[in-house]
Amino acid sequence: MLRLPAFRSFRLALAALTVASAPLAARAETTLRVAMTAADIPDWRGQPDQGFEGNRFVGFTLYDSLILWDLSSSDKEVGLKPGLATKWAIDPNDNKRWIFDLREGVKFHDGCDWNADNAVWNFERLISDKNPAFTPYNFGRARSRTNNIDHMEKISDYQIAFHTKVPESLFFFNMPYLFMLSKCAVEKAGNNLDEFAKHPAGSGPYKFASVVPHERLELVKNTDYWDKDRVPKHDRLVLLPMPEATTRVAALLSGQVDFVEAPPPDAVPALKAANMRIVTNSYPHIWPYLLNVARGPFKDVKVRQAANWAMNRPEMVDLLSGLAAPSGGVFVTQQKYYGHPMEYGYDPKKATALLKEAGCYPCEINIGISTSGSGQMQPLPMNELVKEQLEAVGFKVKFDTLDWNSLLDVFFKGQEKFPYDGINFSSGASDALNFVKSQMSKYNAPLGGNWGWYFNPEVDALGEKVLASFDPAEWEPMVVKMHEIIVRDARNLFIVTDLNPRALSPRVKGFVQAQSWIQDMTPISIDPK
Amino acid sequence: MWRYAARRILMTIPIALGVSAICYALILLAPGDPIQSMLPPDATPEEVAYLKKAYGFDKPVPVQYFLWLMRALSGDLGASIQTHRPVALEVMTALSNTFIIAVGAVLLAFTLAFVMGTIAAYHVGKPTDRALTGVAVMGVSIPNYWLGIVFIIIFAVKLGVLPATGMGSQGSANFNIFDWAQLKYAVLPILTMAMTPLGIIMRSTRAAVADVLNQDFIQMLRAKGLRPFAVLRHAVRNALPQVLTVMGLQLGYLVGGSILIETIFAWPGTGFLMSKAILTRDVPLLQGAILVLAMAFVTINLAVDLLQAAIDPRIKRA
Amino acid sequence: MSDVNAATLADFAASEASPPVRGYWASVGHRLRYDYATLFFLSVIIVVALLAICAPWLAPFDPTKTAMAYRLKPVGFKNFMLGTDDLGRDMLSRLLWGGRTSLIMGMVPVGVATVIGGFLGVLAGFVGGRVNTLIMRAMDIFYAFPSVLLAVAISGTLGGGIKNGMLALTIVFIPPLCRVAESATTLVRGLDFVEAARASGATTLSIILHHVLGNVLSPILIFASSLISVSILLGSGLSFLGLGVEPPTPDWGLMLSALRSGIYIQPLVCALPGVAIFITSLSFNLVSDGLRQAMDVKA
Repeated sequence: MLRLPAFRSFRLALAALTVASAPLAARAETTLRVAMTAADIPDWRGQPDQGFEGNRFVGFTLYDSLILWDLSSSDKEVGLKPGLATKWAIDPNDNKRWIFDLREGVKFHDGCDWNADNAVWNFERLISDKNPAFTPYNFGRARSRTNNIDHMEKISDYQIAFHTKVPESLFFFNMPYLFMLSKCAVEKAGNNLDEFAKHPAGSGPYKFASVVPHERLELVKNTDYWDKDRVPKHDRLVLLPMPEATTRVAALLSGQVDFVEAPPPDAVPALKAANMRIVTNSYPHIWPYLLNVARGPFKDVKVRQAANWAMNRPEMVDLLSGLAAPSGGVFVTQQKYYGHPMEYGYDPKKATALLKEAGCYPCEINIGISTSGSGQMQPLPMNELVKEQLEAVGFKVKFDTLDWNSLLDVFFKGQEKFPYDGINFSSGASDALNFVKSQMSKYNAPLGGNWGWYFNPEVDALGEKVLASFDPAEWEPMVVKMHEIIVRDARNLFIVTDLNPRALSPRVKGFVQAQSWIQDMTPISIDPK
Repeated sequence: MWRYAARRILMTIPIALGVSAICYALILLAPGDPIQSMLPPDATPEEVAYLKKAYGFDKPVPVQYFLWLMRALSGDLGASIQTHRPVALEVMTALSNTFIIAVGAVLLAFTLAFVMGTIAAYHVGKPTDRALTGVAVMGVSIPNYWLGIVFIIIFAVKLGVLPATGMGSQGSANFNIFDWAQLKYAVLPILTMAMTPLGIIMRSTRAAVADVLNQDFIQMLRAKGLRPFAVLRHAVRNALPQVLTVMGLQLGYLVGGSILIETIFAWPGTGFLMSKAILTRDVPLLQGAILVLAMAFVTINLAVDLLQAAIDPRIKRA
Repeated sequence: MSDVNAATLADFAASEASPPVRGYWASVGHRLRYDYATLFFLSVIIVVALLAICAPWLAPFDPTKTAMAYRLKPVGFKNFMLGTDDLGRDMLSRLLWGGRTSLIMGMVPVGVATVIGGFLGVLAGFVGGRVNTLIMRAMDIFYAFPSVLLAVAISGTLGGGIKNGMLALTIVFIPPLCRVAESATTLVRGLDFVEAARASGATTLSIILHHVLGNVLSPILIFASSLISVSILLGSGLSFLGLGVEPPTPDWGLMLSALRSGIYIQPLVCALPGVAIFITSLSFNLVSDGLRQAMDVKA
């Protein structure tokens, strides 16, 4: 909108006077400007949308969770570390009661204290519509992580307990995804999160500074952050949604941003020639087609296997200029639960034979794909290649192109509400819990993460055993076994795994790329121009 | 003049009503249940029932349209499915951004085109005329979204003199066209956008000025030995009203047709908003944006007509 | 994106106010024969059209056959005369086949709209009165939408696909064509020779067929020819936005959109679809101008 220039210059003059009268010039503020792949600023009011990119940039930055990811290293599998909770354990007398000790002395950005009341309130607002700050969308976004919480209990000022509906040995793996808001800030906003959005308060390493809806979100460093190692080494973090890959490249090359998510592989030579740094690392990411196992052609395991034999994965890696690796399961090979599942090579003859055997030739399928999105890589050319490969063996593929948030919605709602035979939904089994639940028919979407309603009694039984076991030596081999079975069952069309490329301006220093979807931006420093 | 103005304004009313009816029809044409398309995906059954009643979807279509129109007239265009923000707010914010580049583009195009057109008209049939007319035809023939990409590569990436996308550090909230640090973000979109109106305005200027130059009184002035520059001044003055009309229409087209350019430059105007609404199937937002843009176009056309009647005494319309 | 320009409508209608004189078409042909620029661009259009029509025989490769080993290769690489795209498909073949889609997107909507808009316009102009008011006010409503907006609105709500795209473009072009037909018919209707025919007892149909249509056709056709370029640009724009042709069907607009990230590797190859759109649209514009000049009796 236009402003009166006279008024503006008056303000500027005033500002200049103030600065001039200051005793000494302050060090220039350093700003890290990030181009995200999201089409809009992720929801910064607690449970972000826009997938993991939302968690990465407006969840993990503004807020803390009870348990945090340890992202300090790039060469080991990412583990958990204490966050707003310092200790957690199952109640020895009750396998449905988890006791968490909370960190003392933490303050939210608005000055309110973090304590048990706050914690209990935060979980209740996610699970119970009796809570005044309950919202359907937050409930929906957190559902797959909160569906086992029966109720909350405050034990003391700094101790709480979760009561779960069923025993779940891996329950604590849910915690890094659930962000804690300042109760008093929400109440001050009249329990209206739209109001809260104007002055959000969490306890994370960044504080909210300003927002221009759809365009930019600015965060500033929280100098009082409780973990001194994670006080940001830059002053300001600016987040810009740029769904177009070429726009991101142009923005980096023209100096408009310093840090670009998922540069298109085709632009990598040009970026390197301009002295930009390309960082990659393996992480628990898969780029599959989740298959609708409840109805349609993929109900038949032969059709699912045929699709897997039809994939020429090295060709896909070529398309991505090597910024990806073939994928043969839900875990990536570096993860300890990968095991030794059967391998689907490239065998188009076998695929055609299986299709004919299944009586689906030509086999018409309808796939939901997205135009961009967190972890979706280069969806349009990649899907075109998948289509070519599938059609070469006898499939007839029809695409329905959605934006990322709509596809997320399709994922959370499950196959029942949407007529797709499959969706190209990238995700990652960062933890065993998410993996186990996503394979069980008990957690069919919308209740849980089993989008295609995959069902195998053997897997269900194993899953129950894993969730009831509190001894890793006992449950870990079972998780491996589950993974091997679901690969044999061709539960997904396994395609590739991303190597998480990012392009950084040469001025960006200190970024450690962890083997994770979430990255810690705090160690980044910016060289002066 | 006043009678003409009153008549012209009255004529706009049925058109505006028709436009709103088409916009309303779009939501009925859209595949899927209109209720579904107006609600967030995780709406409760109560919300569905409430909306159904509030929007009168159980009533006959003309009644539904009337209810919708009444709400639209009071400024309530519903809420965006994606952002939950009021559509009217989203569209109006975006509209002001679109106006920045559309007005810029028309002014730039007009300035260049008027000079080019006048020169061409003075040399009708000569090489100068052919060259300038050629440029104009190129302007209307080039796919401008492609030109935008080429501009980004040249000016932002290779030369690094202009930014590639967006509206700069202030975003649209505080955009100040008098501050070069912000204005430079508008330069490439304006340049790209100016191509089509450049061609069209140039051709109308050329035709109008050539027409005037052919008229008897000019021929007479020339015969009397009036210097070329003075002759041209006469011609230009007589041709101006007609050209201004074309320019006004072009402004309307640019405001309504900015979708491709705004998508290329991630310029947060109505076009960018629409392209996002299309991708996200945000039907209320799309419908609201279309309605507001069509109304803006109708209004601009009306203003242009009235302005033309006011400045051009030759137009006597009863 | 060029627009259906209302300002030029009046010119088109006025250009054919007088009845045809003997040898009118002959004089048009004569003028065209010496208009070398128009002839040149007409031949460009014919070549482009022939190339597109003969794409199945001319294209050296299957335009949808991907070959990852050969992606984004430069012009002249091995057998790929114009290089390859981001999925290793032969650019020459895709440009030839894409020409079909783009020309269809350019011609079919204009053709259909000419028939419908022309019919409505002649009807409104000839019958006059209430029928005229009804038809023309309905057209005014569609006219109140900028063409890009209307096309995007229709295909955006109906969803993508070549059929919806063409439907949208057709709806966009009906009102302006209807207006041109209506003003031309109204002008002709009042002329002496039509009055004479009516007085001598000719039926309405025969008057329309023999007298009105002959005089109204050329302004309609000239105007329609000027819309083809607009239609090509609009159609490719829709495809670029993902609202027109769907992948992997070759289409110039879609190819431009898909090759955006390849522009850093093979700028020349990735610019080709844009050049193809530009040349075709430019040729249609210039030929339309030439036709208009040749047919304009005033000139």
